[in-house]
Amino acid sequence: MRVLAVVPAFNEEECLANTVASLKSTCPDVDCLVVNDGSSDGTWDIVRKNRLHGANLPVNTGLTSAFRTGMKYALRHGYDAVVQFDADGQHLPSYIPVMARKLEETGANMVIASRYLDGTVRPSGARGAGSRLITFLIRLTTGARITDPTSGMRMYSKEMIRLFATSFDCAPEPDMVALAARRYGPVVEIQATMQERQGGESYLKLGNVIKYMSRTCLSILMLRFLR
Amino acid sequence: MLPTQLRVLLVIGALLALLIVCNRVKKSKILMEDAIFWTVLAFVLVLLAVFPQIAICVSQALGFVSASNFVYLVVMVLLLWKVFTNSSEISRLKAKVNELAQEIALAHVDEDESAEKNCG
Repeated sequence: MRVLAVVPAFNEEECLANTVASLKSTCPDVDCLVVNDGSSDGTWDIVRKNRLHGANLPVNTGLTSAFRTGMKYALRHGYDAVVQFDADGQHLPSYIPVMARKLEETGANMVIASRYLDGTVRPSGARGAGSRLITFLIRLTTGARITDPTSGMRMYSKEMIRLFATSFDCAPEPDMVALAARRYGPVVEIQATMQERQGGESYLKLGNVIKYMSRTCLSILMLRFLR
Repeated sequence: MLPTQLRVLLVIGALLALLIVCNRVKKSKILMEDAIFWTVLAFVLVLLAVFPQIAICVSQALGFVSASNFVYLVVMVLLLWKVFTNSSEISRLKAKVNELAQEIALAHVDEDESAEKNCG
């Protein structure tokens, strides 16, 4: 199975090199495509200097569009699966082969690396509450039990690659998890741990959490009836 | 009755709008397809001002307190409609810009790949 790791990077010069280096050393079979999303810092210089495989968006277009760039690349080069992998080092590459195996075994369309699957860690704080709310909404609208819908480490099947590469509005976000669970076959999870981010700034700053939550929840509910 | 002052204001406003729109078209600052909306809007306002009977009849039929309220509502509905179509057009423009940026990025990746193959 040919797996492509898509690493969207917006102003991630601090940790990008380390993240990709550990990805390559842990999973030599997995190809890696860094998508520089019009960064204003030296992210693209890092890609060039380390001779990483990279695509360079000439303007900042947002995480969704950066990820779709990777999905288009995967579709055009015939990959069997794509894993969404953060540039900031919070995702551990050792889970990629586990996810790939799970994808093959179960024939699922999406595998999520969940922090909460085995129940030893529980979602806590404001973010945890948000995560639980999304879990509840997905269960309500699709019947699927997704313990960690906001996990950014997801693996997508060939069918999902095609969907992302060709659709008008497909975001690598929890609302798509819900849509996938309902329309495109099973979404399964594996247990995983994640690290604290190793540097740089998150796409999800605290001020954006309310916006993120209302967008996600409304979108899950609207997609239930519209698609 | 539609107050005379309102009728005069409507005509002046509509003529002003027409003037601005024509000026923009002449200076190539707006596409004709987008200018049409504003031209039609101006004509609707002139129509309402010149023939107050239209506004009076419809407002009585729909139970408005006064005909001027009906005129305001017409203007508001037209503007809301325009704002919404703008929003959806901006959405489509965003999507197109993103597509273009993605294609530029991917074209360069393929260039790099074939260059590497030729060297190696």
